[in-house]
Amino acid sequence: MISSAVTMVALVCLWTVLQLLVLGGLSHDRAQQFLYGEFRQQLAGSVAPVGPVVPVGDPVALMRIPAIGMEQVVVEGTASGDLLVGPGHRRDTVLPGQQGVSLVYGRGGTYGAPFGDITELVEGDVIVVVSGQGETRYSVTGVRRSGDPVPLPPVEGEGRLTLVTAEGSGRLAGLTADTTVFVDASSPDAFPAPPGRPTAVPESEQAMASDPGALPLLALCLALLVALTLAVVAARERWSLTVVWIVASPLAIAAAWLTTDTVMRLLPNLI
Amino acid sequence: MRGPAARRRHRLGVLLGVLLAVVVSLALGATAGSAADPLARAITPAAKAAPAGKDGFSTTKTLTRTFAEADGQTTTVASYDVTVRADRTQNLRGRQRVRITWSGAQPSGGRASNPYGENGLAQEYPVVVMQCRGRDGAGVPAARQLRPETCWTASVAQRSQVLRSDGEALWRVDRFEDEADRERVSGIDPFPAEQCADADVESYSTHLTEFAAAGGTVFPACDSESMPPEAAVGAAFPPAEVAAYTDENGAGSVKFEVRSDVENESLGCSHTVECSIVVVPIVGLSCDTPSTPISIADRACRKLGRFAPGSSNFANEGVDQAVSPALWWSESNWRNRFSIPITFGLPPDTCDVLDTRPPTGFYGSELLAQAALQWSPAYCLDTKRFKFQLNQMPDEAGWNLMTSGEGPAAVVSSEHTALAGQPIGYAPTAVTGFAVGYVIDRPENGGEYTQLKLTPRLLAKLLTQSYVGSDLGRGHPGMAGNPVSILNDPEFVELNPGLSRIDQEAGATLLSLSTSADVVEQLTSYIAQNREASAFVAGKADPWGMVVNPSYRKIELPRAEWPLLDTYVPQTQNSCRQANPAVYFNQLAAPVTTLRKIAEALLDSHPNVQTRCDYDASTQQYKVGRIDRQSFGARFLLGIVSLGDAERYGLRAAALQTKPGRFVPPTAQSLANAVDLTTQKRTRLPFVLDQADVARSGGAYPGTMVVYTAAKLSGLDAETAGHLAQFVRVSTTEGQRPGSGNGELPAGFLPIRDTGPTAKLLDAADDVADAIEAQRPPKTSPPAGPGGGDGGPDSSDGGTTPPGDLTPPGRSTPDTTPPTGAPTQDPVLTASPTAATTTVDSGIAGRLLPGLLALGLLAGVYSAASRFFVRVPRRPEAGGR
Repeated sequence: MISSAVTMVALVCLWTVLQLLVLGGLSHDRAQQFLYGEFRQQLAGSVAPVGPVVPVGDPVALMRIPAIGMEQVVVEGTASGDLLVGPGHRRDTVLPGQQGVSLVYGRGGTYGAPFGDITELVEGDVIVVVSGQGETRYSVTGVRRSGDPVPLPPVEGEGRLTLVTAEGSGRLAGLTADTTVFVDASSPDAFPAPPGRPTAVPESEQAMASDPGALPLLALCLALLVALTLAVVAARERWSLTVVWIVASPLAIAAAWLTTDTVMRLLPNLI
Repeated sequence: MRGPAARRRHRLGVLLGVLLAVVVSLALGATAGSAADPLARAITPAAKAAPAGKDGFSTTKTLTRTFAEADGQTTTVASYDVTVRADRTQNLRGRQRVRITWSGAQPSGGRASNPYGENGLAQEYPVVVMQCRGRDGAGVPAARQLRPETCWTASVAQRSQVLRSDGEALWRVDRFEDEADRERVSGIDPFPAEQCADADVESYSTHLTEFAAAGGTVFPACDSESMPPEAAVGAAFPPAEVAAYTDENGAGSVKFEVRSDVENESLGCSHTVECSIVVVPIVGLSCDTPSTPISIADRACRKLGRFAPGSSNFANEGVDQAVSPALWWSESNWRNRFSIPITFGLPPDTCDVLDTRPPTGFYGSELLAQAALQWSPAYCLDTKRFKFQLNQMPDEAGWNLMTSGEGPAAVVSSEHTALAGQPIGYAPTAVTGFAVGYVIDRPENGGEYTQLKLTPRLLAKLLTQSYVGSDLGRGHPGMAGNPVSILNDPEFVELNPGLSRIDQEAGATLLSLSTSADVVEQLTSYIAQNREASAFVAGKADPWGMVVNPSYRKIELPRAEWPLLDTYVPQTQNSCRQANPAVYFNQLAAPVTTLRKIAEALLDSHPNVQTRCDYDASTQQYKVGRIDRQSFGARFLLGIVSLGDAERYGLRAAALQTKPGRFVPPTAQSLANAVDLTTQKRTRLPFVLDQADVARSGGAYPGTMVVYTAAKLSGLDAETAGHLAQFVRVSTTEGQRPGSGNGELPAGFLPIRDTGPTAKLLDAADDVADAIEAQRPPKTSPPAGPGGGDGGPDSSDGGTTPPGDLTPPGRSTPDTTPPTGAPTQDPVLTASPTAATTTVDSGIAGRLLPGLLALGLLAGVYSAASRFFVRVPRRPEAGGR
């Protein structure tokens, strides 16, 4: 009995690790593919969003950093759940490519780790942002960590892009992303930004925040798992073991996947 | 043949060669012993240029043509006192053009439409100008003596006479020619029978003027195969040697392009190899005593020409050989030569070769290119100075390198956007500008047009691609009534009368830059300031009914980058165009990336128009490309060039309209007038030339530009800052002495002096040099963000605030700077970086994955182990069964 419980604990823990590091990457890549297609279509139709208010989760820009070989579609919103599909644009800042400071958050270690390498950027590296208004080329001005001076507000006409992610330290740096790190980039000729942006974002969309709004959903997901367990027990009475395995395992994996995604929303958004 | 003479010369040459080798090895040994850097030492004295006053050349000679008569008398047929002048002879650079003028020569007849290379052979009484290796003079050792064999020609026909009949072998009756050279086969000794077998046929005469290359190879020059590689058909550079006209007053001039060993390795002229420009005014062969009975050659030698002075020979008819340029090497012509000694400046790569120190890079404007060429050796060859290196790129790119810290300094000529908190000083370094360069021939062999006048509206028409170019462009919507090219624009014709009205595609465009450049910004602001020009761009027709290309209507001016906006693809029956559909006007405009390329296009009169369409039989495909060089006599080409390039390459610069009826060419005075008009908004910023002031003043050149060295005033290391300050100081003092030597200011730049209109530039440069050297350390104390410190987060959870973010949206203080919009803080030069970054830590984030992993592995091991221990006792049973 104890052994079964421990096995379950092992399964849950290892599944979570597997999902964060491997399976999450797959779902991130798939989401990026869809977002890319969607954003491409919007650009072609000149209907890509330019702000000030964009529905959360919609693609807002395509960001390319040739120096680290990164290409990501940026979505609107920086809550933990939004960042599962790619880097997110913080909603109270201008969109990437516009005049002013634009903040883009991205995960540094899990779910494909889109921002895992940005701390390797050096001064002068180019960040190309394609948005609904056109292409903007940013030049990286530096990586900021604790204690580094914050640059002054941008001058008129200048656009600044600040990428935010989390990084760890020590031997397990890849797994212990616990401190925010900032990469600033600047473009002298950004596009004008429309007025009317929100002046604040919910707590859950700030750096390293989690989203307690996922708790009800988590309860549903767990209920689903329980229901599945009961269904398996019931099915075992009538069907052969093989049939139950065949029917139940995809359902179990799907439910587990969904549940872990929901749990992810309860975890800090930049890891 | 040159038998005994040549052998004598040969023996002397060997003797001298040995002597020279001994002397050189001794000298080298001595230098190596005494100096740490022998090469640099060896080169510095040579680099010390002759003072500016000594530049130029002028000599007068009396040239006579005489016939030895049968009775032993000598008749003087003609005598001329010819004076030849050259405007500059010192420190020339490859492709630089030297203006050579002469007076007192016999007027030319039968002028060719193109006098260059072999096209110039069918003329009478021209003046042959060519470049030769070596020097004339009694004191010059034989190896370095100038001779016909070291003179460059681009074709065989210009140097050798192969298989001539008796009536054409006039050098054999030249009364000054050596006995050896009167043989049937003469010139090179011994005759290269194997290589030139075809050139030796009984009863025909041949004289080969072989070419002795700098490397020692001798090219017999009996056919195009036996010529030096640079003389190949379709060589990279068009022929420079010219058989120029003399007008009916006996005067003439030509801009002769010199070639260094970079352009012509066989000729091999460089700062160490002496060369000369040889001018041979053809006055006719002096003929020897005629044979009895008088031979056909004797009669031909005594001919005086069949073309009247001033006449043209478009049909390329035969001329009297006795007065043609083909026999320039024959002794009676050759002895009439004027040899102008020239010296070459150090090659552009001198510093890279001689100075191993890492360079201090200056990034940006090409306007400074010619000055940098002369300045850089003055830095790198001086151990007390640093190694200066100008890397030419668009101004904006150079600026970005500087602000991002990758380049120490930028070279720009207008104000650029600085990053916040980054104080930058602009030190005036040189006064120069851009010009609309042109090469235009007047019709009917009338020579070059020298008085081009342009208005802002004409420039606007050219830039906006409003001329249709050819029939292909006629179908462009909205431009049906526009002229085909500027040549038929009534506005242009009124200003520049007497030019050909035959349209060319090159006449529909102004070759310009494709990149972002301060030059384009200034040009477009000159257009924008003019009411007529901006009205034309806005869509108003000019008085003759021409309208702007709709693709460019209402384009915003001024702008630093000129875009290609047209999209019209002509519909034609031409199968090549059908296979390569392209935007026609973009092919006409075809902007390039550097001003140097435009200067070379003008130098070669080779438009960058990309409408040539060829069928390549080998691949069975059509391809488009650049059209051919324009033929001499029908050239028309306009392009934006820098004033430095215009002066170096002898390009003509158009006079630009400032007021109605007033056209100002770029001169020292008009540049100074423009500098006088510039104003500075704040210290250490650039001086701005307002085009409205230019229009008001009338006498200032609108293309005047001050080139600045822009550098950070804080954050540079002391060594770099010292280099930059030294450069600013040296370039505004020593670097402003006009001249062609190292460290001197080339033509095309207005010297900055401590008096007159440029005095303010000098003061500004001194001030910025001090500021650069001082490098105020960035202040660290006062945080710029109001609201206090790291911004009190309003969140309850310590792990959810973004205090390190630049935007303070969540901050409790309502009066913080809005994230976008205009910054409330003026980015003044003293501004320093704001508060330090604070990061957000999250314990759970750091421990989550390792914890899960550890727990999962532990549990996994436990469960595996428990199963193992439970099952182990059963195993023997199973095995026993």
